[in-house]
Amino acid sequence: MKPRVAVVQFPGVNCEAETARALERVGLEAEIFRWMRPESEFARFDAYVLPGGFSYQDRVRGGALAAKHPLVERLAERAAKGAPVLGICNGAQVLVEAGLVPGGGAVELALARNRMPGRAGYYARWVRVRIAPSRCLFTSTLEAGTVLPLPVAHGEGRFTARAAGRVAELAAAGQAPLRYTGAGDEASPAFPDNPNGSEEAVAGMCNAEGNVLALMPHPERAQDLGALSRAASGPWADRRDARLEVALQAGAGRAAAGDDDGPGLAIFAGLARHLAGRGRA
Amino acid sequence: MVQSRADGATVQAWIELRTDDPEALSALGVVRSRLDAGRSLAGLRRLRLFELHGRLPARAEIEALLHRSTWFYNPHKERCTLRASSREGSPVAIGEQAVLVVERGGERCPSAERWWLHETGQAIEVRTGLAWLLRFEPGGEAAARAAELAVVTGRAHGLLCNPNAQDHALAAAGHLPLPWIGSEPGRRPGGARKRGTT
Repeated sequence: MKPRVAVVQFPGVNCEAETARALERVGLEAEIFRWMRPESEFARFDAYVLPGGFSYQDRVRGGALAAKHPLVERLAERAAKGAPVLGICNGAQVLVEAGLVPGGGAVELALARNRMPGRAGYYARWVRVRIAPSRCLFTSTLEAGTVLPLPVAHGEGRFTARAAGRVAELAAAGQAPLRYTGAGDEASPAFPDNPNGSEEAVAGMCNAEGNVLALMPHPERAQDLGALSRAASGPWADRRDARLEVALQAGAGRAAAGDDDGPGLAIFAGLARHLAGRGRA
Repeated sequence: MVQSRADGATVQAWIELRTDDPEALSALGVVRSRLDAGRSLAGLRRLRLFELHGRLPARAEIEALLHRSTWFYNPHKERCTLRASSREGSPVAIGEQAVLVVERGGERCPSAERWWLHETGQAIEVRTGLAWLLRFEPGGEAAARAAELAVVTGRAHGLLCNPNAQDHALAAAGHLPLPWIGSEPGRRPGGARKRGTT
């Protein structure tokens, strides 16, 4: 029997279908779990994903109202027992506002408004994230140093903390498994490589145990190789170009290369490998 | 009369929806049903607050400029109340507690400042924040309950301000500072003074 993953949908969340599809592509059973379902059914799942969107229309702050929903209390209980939890974009905001990341229950971080030179508000583009050494189960199939092209699309994605140096401390402790990077190896990329001014260029922050990840880029939007930005370079772009060439030579057309596995599936593959190797939490 | 300081005058513009505010209604519902300190919350309103500081024209002209601009409010669905002196009343009703929430480092409005300069030839500072007005049922210490609801510290505590990225200040009706949005938290009356305290 395949492990079951709940794709948790609060009102205003709009990335549930493609997130479920990405989970199914790595061999998991995905089910969209809407906010009005009985809480008693929530514990039946092996893992949980909070997709992107605008839960409760981003009222008060992104993720702030959903973080108070009783389901998130159940989510915290499941996470404490080791169940994997992934929050993508708005889902990441929910996890941070709920104190599930960096963990411990206290709200230690914010995903604050983007800081971008000469502009403000919502910002969308493809970025590059580098995998850092960590216990995060979602990056467990990736070697440290691997670079993934992923898209971001948000107005509030800047990891920051009131306590000076707290984000750096968490990163040093291995709780920042994904960091924005530029074309080189720079540790502190500038805008637009760091698209929101996030401290320590953090793109994804996890709890100390590594089973809860708040991730601002959208891996589900990078599940198809053909979705990769034309401006992308590096191994994934080379793979896309090579696949495209083969498809064109075979007379299959551009679309034939489009549905091959893209870089974003690696995040879901980490979850699948974890669930395959462990008993139920 | 516009209240003057040595370095110019400050005017507050309070912007409120003419209709029910869905954001405030959602917040009220969540606070009442899920936060212990919110069970006695009877009403919640949300106003956008602008503070204009510098060499300002007469009140009537300020009102006309704000009405005409698209950077401050939409007169078709919002109303604007000017407050130019600390002796003037404000939209905060008697019995309401006001919680001001300001994005740390993001309170200035460069676009509005550029528009004002273009229209008037005067360079002014425009700052903005969000004012939540809380009305509690009688009994209990309203200011203390407002303070508890203001700052989010966990899933069951606080909502309006995430102190990791925002600053807040509290005031009761009749004691509303002018200016209220300082250039730094330490200058904000009723605001968080030290790192780590709110």
